[in-house]
Amino acid sequence: MRLRYLRRGTQGLGVLLGIFGITGLGMTHLIFPGLHCYACPLAVTVCPIGLLQNLVIAGSIPFYLLGVLALYGLALGRGWCGWFCPFGTVNDLLAFRRAKFVRALSPLKILVLVGTVVAAWRLLDTWFCKLCPAASLTASLPYFALGLAQPTTPFWIHMGTLGGTVLGMVLVSRFWCRYLCPMGALLSLFNRASFLGLRIRREKCTECKRCREACPMGIDPYLEGNSSNCIKCGECVEACPHKALSLSFGFPGGSGFAPLRFPWARSGSRGISAHK
Amino acid sequence: MVFLLAFLFWAFSVQAEEIRLVPESPENLGDWAKVVQAFRLYPTPSRSVRYEGPTLATQLWGDLALGQARYALLLGVTPQNAVELYVDLDRDNRISPGEKLSGTRVSGGMAWTVSLRSEPPQGSSFDYPLQILWPEGRGYLFLVGGAVRAGEFRGRRIALVDGDLDGVFGTKGDFLAVDVDGDGKIYAEPDGHERFSLNEPFTLGGESFRAEVPPDGRSLRISSAAYTPPKVPLIPGSPAPNFTFREFRTGENLSLASFRGKVVLLDFWATWCPPCMASLPGLLELYREFHAQGFEIVGVSLDESAEDLRRVIASYGIPWPIAFEGKRWDNSLANLWRVYQIPTAYLLDKQGIIRFRDLEADALRKAVSELLSEPVTLEAPAPAPSMPEVSLRPEPILELRVPKETGIQEGKAAKVSVRVINTSPYLAEEVRFSFPDLPPGWEVEVPAPFNVPAFGEREAQIQILFKDSAGKSPPAAVRLSVDYHYCIEDACFQMSQEEKLAFVLGASPERALSLPWWILALLAAGVLLSWFLFGRNLTVLSFVLVGLGVAALLFGVFWGQARQAQRIASVLCTSCVGIEEARAPTAEIPAALLSEFQNFPKTAHLMVFYTPWCKSCPYAKALVAQIASVNPRISVELIDADEKRAEAEASGVIRNGKAVVPAIVIRETGKILFGTEDLAPRILAALREIP
Repeated sequence: MRLRYLRRGTQGLGVLLGIFGITGLGMTHLIFPGLHCYACPLAVTVCPIGLLQNLVIAGSIPFYLLGVLALYGLALGRGWCGWFCPFGTVNDLLAFRRAKFVRALSPLKILVLVGTVVAAWRLLDTWFCKLCPAASLTASLPYFALGLAQPTTPFWIHMGTLGGTVLGMVLVSRFWCRYLCPMGALLSLFNRASFLGLRIRREKCTECKRCREACPMGIDPYLEGNSSNCIKCGECVEACPHKALSLSFGFPGGSGFAPLRFPWARSGSRGISAHK
Repeated sequence: MVFLLAFLFWAFSVQAEEIRLVPESPENLGDWAKVVQAFRLYPTPSRSVRYEGPTLATQLWGDLALGQARYALLLGVTPQNAVELYVDLDRDNRISPGEKLSGTRVSGGMAWTVSLRSEPPQGSSFDYPLQILWPEGRGYLFLVGGAVRAGEFRGRRIALVDGDLDGVFGTKGDFLAVDVDGDGKIYAEPDGHERFSLNEPFTLGGESFRAEVPPDGRSLRISSAAYTPPKVPLIPGSPAPNFTFREFRTGENLSLASFRGKVVLLDFWATWCPPCMASLPGLLELYREFHAQGFEIVGVSLDESAEDLRRVIASYGIPWPIAFEGKRWDNSLANLWRVYQIPTAYLLDKQGIIRFRDLEADALRKAVSELLSEPVTLEAPAPAPSMPEVSLRPEPILELRVPKETGIQEGKAAKVSVRVINTSPYLAEEVRFSFPDLPPGWEVEVPAPFNVPAFGEREAQIQILFKDSAGKSPPAAVRLSVDYHYCIEDACFQMSQEEKLAFVLGASPERALSLPWWILALLAAGVLLSWFLFGRNLTVLSFVLVGLGVAALLFGVFWGQARQAQRIASVLCTSCVGIEEARAPTAEIPAALLSEFQNFPKTAHLMVFYTPWCKSCPYAKALVAQIASVNPRISVELIDADEKRAEAEASGVIRNGKAVVPAIVIRETGKILFGTEDLAPRILAALREIP
């Protein structure tokens, strides 16, 4: 249970970073390690997907953006989705129904990412932003409240995408993160090579599938830990009655690090990497 | 030997005289004793400063340095739209509610007064009174100060002013004002004959002196200097300094003295100076009216292009004599008359005595008519009222950044990038580069003259080619001169700044950095590979990827992409994030509404802020263009809010650190209209608010 508390804490930090502008700090050079609209009146960080589109439109080669994203991805992989992203947190708050992952829909988020880039390249416009539910929540609604936006068609489109996503999230846990998030798609590329990893000790695993029931992404963690759909949230670690799963920082591909259930946990028994 | 040294020491020590200076009120001295400087504000503080007061809807920060003391300034707008100014008086990097200054509303903005403490690098600290003005809706302040102090030297009043408002005396821009003629009034306007820069000697009764100033400005050490003739006064009542010139069209040699017996308007102007051109029709009318009665105009053109001048003379039909040297501000006549801004016009009476300066059209007509009716007398008339006030002191507004050194090879062109940063809220016009002391064997290619917008930045490339024909090695450095002008309301100033370009011979020329594509290609390949590797191989690959990620990140930062990211994120394009509809770039205003625009009786200037990627902006631009096309009294200016971010900031288009586009600003009232919904009726309503 304490791993989840810890996660709620870091998710709270993600939300805090998202609204850090309340302190009066303006826009910084930092890229947000998740999906958070930089048009949000309280944003102090740059949305990676928004920036990506603008750089494509401007014809810049995004060294800074890709360098930062690579380092984010190599550090936590999709762990950012599970532990930090405020929109992921919204998904978590509405995760009433854990459904099985529909593998056929998995490439959708890659398609969204590619479509976003292609739309920026060919149509020279930030089309993803116009539909992004995170922008609906953190930009459209606040600006509407501030009187800067009018209830026009684009506003209602935003409300539509937000409503649809919220409905999806209520019906299927982490619906946005599972199938549609382009930021998740970017981070998933680094999921296997990242230093935060889910590890399984197969000798302890009885394949009871409790982890699958607990997984908000609806995958089989004992088979697919660290796969592109694993957000490394640690729900499976908590659910495993045999302590066969653990979440820890270590060398990707390497075996043997103690489960990091709590930051103060002592290192001890060796495990087998789920990468194997 | 010891005696000789002692004698020399004595001799030098008696020559220098130390006089004490005490703080003086500028009101007792003159307007020149109040230095005005624009002070830029930013959406975020430049260092870690915490604000602990009540919630502010908008915050703008500045960092004021007075010697080594640095004060954070916070201009805030409360949710109730009250404007407040906070200064971190105790310099603890925390702005508490008690550090709010009490301000007064003045016409066009707010004003505050505060006494800060300056800590010069040497000497003791001192009080530094400042007046702070905020022009309403702008992203900058005006600081009014100068910590003027005064004393007496040989029975004459002498004053010292911190002309650059940096809290340290003796730095560039500071000046001395000496009542050299002993009339009890000091003429220390920028072209006054009693104003002296600190490295300039002043002359009192046939003896010249030079002053040394300690950083705290408590005293002046005045020593003798080689005799320098005193500056000629240009105040009303003084005889006009004579000069001869070649008339531009006829080539005839004329002198100012040859017009004695006529009332002469000596007009310093240029075709590139908009206020000068605006006054031209009035002058033509005045000339036509009074020329027959003995009125003459002598124009001194500060143009560079004879073509431009010829065209203007022909198109306006200017009949009066024009002096032209083609040297812009290096014009010898302008130097003789210490002209620092144009238009500058002196009205001389029939005796050649300066009577008035820079009169407005109506006052000029009256003065000319009165002077024409005056009989020619040999007695000089009593001086006319004092000269008009000079509200702003011209000073360099550009900051130049050049590479530390550039490698050059014989016969190979080297490229030098010069970053030109405008630190002021004024447009720097026709910025041109030149090399005043370029040795033979060098060839340079400088960029065409360009403008730098208020607080804007430009990168200029200079190509330098060194051909060693005489077997001589090139100098280690050459002087780069940057000339430009800028206008504040109805006055234009010429500025010249210099920077040294250092060279290293033999080193390969500085090459343009090629983009390391391979970093990103390797990163992508590594990511793909990571999907197929296991065990130790994956570990190794991960570390390689970290290295590539760091390399890409560092290169991006070096390339300025971090700043680019911040800039992109700082602009809120309402249609880009779908807050508003992207409209077609055609605007159809209903006929009834259009006729209301057509009949709008007042003049108005609309500034349309846009960004290249804003999809609604073309609509806003087209709509405003249509409005302007039906009414010549409505003018339009299109401003790229990304490129001219400072202008956007100054106009209040930046909200919470983000430029909101499209935005239309009515210059006369400062009113801002965001978005495109019902735009035409909203513009009409805003125009009607113009008083």
